[in-house]
Amino acid sequence: MLTLLRDKFLSERPGSASRNFLLSALWWSLLGMGAGLVGAAEFAMPDMMKNVPQLSFPHMRMWHVNAVAIGWLSMGYVGSMFHMVPTLCKTKLYSERLGNFTMWVWNIVMVGALCTLVNGNTEGREYAELGAVLDGLVVVGLLSVAGNLYATMLTRKVQKLYVSLWYFLGSLFWFPLVYIIGQRTFVSLPGLNDAIVGWFYGHNILGMWFTTVGVGMMYYLIPRLTQAPLYSHGLSMLGFWGIALFYAPTGTHHILQSPVPEWLKAIAVISSIFLLVPVLTVLTNFFMTMKGKWGLVVTDLPLRFAVTSSIFYLITCVQGPFQATRWVNWYLHFSQWVVGHAHLALLGTFSFILTASFYYIIPRITGREYYSLGMIRAHYWLKTLGFILMMVSLTTAGLIQAAGWAFGMPVDQWSLQIRPYWFFRELSGVMILGGQCIFAWNTYKTLYGPRSLTTPAPAAKAKQEVKA
Amino acid sequence: MDTPETPTYRTGALAVITTFFIIIFSTVLTPMYLFNPKPSGHGNDYTVQKLGDAARGRRIYVREGCFYCHTQFTRLQDRGYGPLVREGDYVYETPHQLGTARTGPDLTNEGGRMSAQWQKAHLVNPRAVKSGSIMPSFSYLPDRDMNDLVAYIQTLGNKRGTENFVEAPAEYTVSTESGRHLFDRKHVDTNASASANAGRGIFTQNCAVCHGLEGWGNGPNAITLEKKPANFSRPFYKQYPDEFWYYRLSEGVAGTRMPRFNEILTEEQRWYLVAYLKTLQKDQEVVINNVDQLNKVDEIKLPVLSNQQYEPHTPEGGGQL
Repeated sequence: MLTLLRDKFLSERPGSASRNFLLSALWWSLLGMGAGLVGAAEFAMPDMMKNVPQLSFPHMRMWHVNAVAIGWLSMGYVGSMFHMVPTLCKTKLYSERLGNFTMWVWNIVMVGALCTLVNGNTEGREYAELGAVLDGLVVVGLLSVAGNLYATMLTRKVQKLYVSLWYFLGSLFWFPLVYIIGQRTFVSLPGLNDAIVGWFYGHNILGMWFTTVGVGMMYYLIPRLTQAPLYSHGLSMLGFWGIALFYAPTGTHHILQSPVPEWLKAIAVISSIFLLVPVLTVLTNFFMTMKGKWGLVVTDLPLRFAVTSSIFYLITCVQGPFQATRWVNWYLHFSQWVVGHAHLALLGTFSFILTASFYYIIPRITGREYYSLGMIRAHYWLKTLGFILMMVSLTTAGLIQAAGWAFGMPVDQWSLQIRPYWFFRELSGVMILGGQCIFAWNTYKTLYGPRSLTTPAPAAKAKQEVKA
Repeated sequence: MDTPETPTYRTGALAVITTFFIIIFSTVLTPMYLFNPKPSGHGNDYTVQKLGDAARGRRIYVREGCFYCHTQFTRLQDRGYGPLVREGDYVYETPHQLGTARTGPDLTNEGGRMSAQWQKAHLVNPRAVKSGSIMPSFSYLPDRDMNDLVAYIQTLGNKRGTENFVEAPAEYTVSTESGRHLFDRKHVDTNASASANAGRGIFTQNCAVCHGLEGWGNGPNAITLEKKPANFSRPFYKQYPDEFWYYRLSEGVAGTRMPRFNEILTEEQRWYLVAYLKTLQKDQEVVINNVDQLNKVDEIKLPVLSNQQYEPHTPEGGGQL
């Protein structure tokens, strides 16, 4: 009986940890994006939710950020790494059982986060809202993922480490540390020092986790899907070391106009500008790999998601360094422009690359072809067009807001001017969530619907390994 | 694994680790030692001072996530949001509530700007007291939480003396060349009653139509304005320095119908006006809550406003606080 339960919940089936992580991610993405939509609707219609504390905007926002960052993106990342790292090492995952255990821990974290955050049980630190117990569980999850994947790497059958592995293993080394430093659960630092550490963490959850793992996934997917060798390995190493070196100290650019030490701001601004180097090398590498293969995006839907993701990555990473400079920050900071930028990174870039890897991995580990290609197309267009609408409306609203601050207009005057953009943003949220629901339905039908007998599973097609 | 190339990875891994720790050391640990601001005396010390229930109010501020839309640091360019913050203001602020987005106004110096009753009414129904607001209603908060939250809001910017609450932009102060020229040209004694007398006529001709003959914000034009004209009897205006009055007169108030009088009045006239405006403040604000109290220039048909519509947030206006 116990063995049965253990095999049911801590399965040893190859690929089960990856699959379970990806499916959990998809589930939390629906709740997280739904919360984002409710929050967006409250901007457009401020009196929509009255007297329901769980649905008031600040609580929705906390849950939205944590659900999409820790639930959707991070769980999806771990699921993708559980597939990609063993494949790149030409071996099996070190322990599927440990992987499934991590999956349960992570899901418990998410349930706990939902119950605490919507009731306002927060530590009051942006991006580190979770309470002490949940923080501890996240660290347990991260460390067991890291241990599992490092052990997989040690049993590898190939000698050379592909650049994706550098990104994955690097992230798994430094992100648990960044997370532990950033929580400040058991320390009580005085105000501005708290802010310095807080933004070290707040920016590096992006820079040392979402970016590095996401770029690693792009490095994996683009050559595989195009069946073209990576343009340059030297360039990919330059990009890796550039990100590793310049990303970590940039956090202070979030509080550039507060009274923190000037030398710290200078380090942050300079490293932010230097980030253009790794970003441009990474993207040069991708776009040169795509050379002559761009036509594939018409038919290859995972590739289409991946390429869209890298184009959004270019935009977000060109925006970033300029926003971090003092004169642009002077004007744009505090406005919805920044919210647009954050969504460009996390939704436009990393959610798209995760979706690409989702559509790539699920057929390979379950041996089932996707239920409907039309639904994938619908998902793509709803998400892309919805996202572009969101970006345009938030950016425009941000420029109006920034002008309001720069010219000393009272807040209640410009907030009337940006009301139309709140409605557009809400509409974009409907499109994106609709796309995600189609995605979830399609995945459900793929996994639990009748197996198609006509089309061979892609694993049988045995794509040629493309790795120079 | 025992291949000639293994050492390459070892060096690489060592380099990753070293880089990471150097960065942690330089940008996380070093500031903890090098940057230890002393209390400036303008921050709230929640541990020592007994601020009533403000400390609990702060926890409610955190719980309700106010900092997602309200910041707590003023910048050079934030005119009318009080003096610039200094590093020592934050030593007791843990977790920090600096904030990153301003969907609502900055709250650094919010304490005392509005009455506690106004703050509470604004939490219950933001749009009743501020038409353009998109703040969610916090009417679900129990009364005790609401009062504590208001108590906390009223301590914000605590002890940053109200005498320097507002500062004119640099080009109107002697710190810049244009400001020095302005004061070189100024020959009006803004504290003399003769100057104020001279200013009274200018006020009647240019300002009274909106601000009222006594400057109570009740001129005949006032009812047509969405953003009501200022009531100069408010004690709040006692703190305005001359150059701030002069700046407001010259450049108007963005987002309202207050015009830019530098196009209309000479510098001398504006200084006379400043002298007059400084005499209008009273110890108790004169509240206008009756249409009959509006200055009527002539027999005109005014739409009948209920008190509720005119000043909904005062108890006299029928607002239940």
